[in-house]
Amino acid sequence: MKTQAIMIAALAASALGGCIQVKAPDKPIEINLNVKVQQEVVVKLQRDAQDLIQNNPELFPQ
Amino acid sequence: MTRKMLMFAAGAAVALASGLIMTAPARAQSGPVAAAMAAGTVGEQADGYLGIAGTVGADVRSEVESINIKRRAAYTQLAGQRGVTVQDVAAATGCQTLSSRVKQGQAYRIGAGPWQTKGAGAISLPAYCATAG
Repeated sequence: MKTQAIMIAALAASALGGCIQVKAPDKPIEINLNVKVQQEVVVKLQRDAQDLIQNNPELFPQ
Repeated sequence: MTRKMLMFAAGAAVALASGLIMTAPARAQSGPVAAAMAAGTVGEQADGYLGIAGTVGADVRSEVESINIKRRAAYTQLAGQRGVTVQDVAAATGCQTLSSRVKQGQAYRIGAGPWQTKGAGAISLPAYCATAG
């Protein structure tokens, strides 16, 4: 009976010790979007670029 | 560096002098540069400009420089209209030339990479180029 109590106490202690702690980082999380912005600009310009090539055939020999 | 700056200055001068590159009369495309492109000694670059990929004569070299100056002027004009950088317009144009204008057997270059010859398949474009033109 006594040993059982001790075992339960030990189990409880180990369970408490195994708790996962979630802690927010003290520094803000930075996400760099420069690449994506650059990509969007180029994508939007594709049609303009197509027109530019077609309107200036002398600048784009083949 | 100096050459780039010179090109830029000359490009700006051309843009100012002619006002609109768009109104320039279209010239025949069968010039020494077109011949050099067919031979693979001049090629399109992903940066939107022509480059020298092999051995070329002085006439081809000067024509390539002249075309690049005019291209920069056209890019500068469009960049001003769209509120983007000249580099953005040039890069977008580079995507177009590499995806739809460089023909099989012609030379092309992406970034500072080596000159490559276009094979039967499509050129694998830089990530920033849109797949839908």
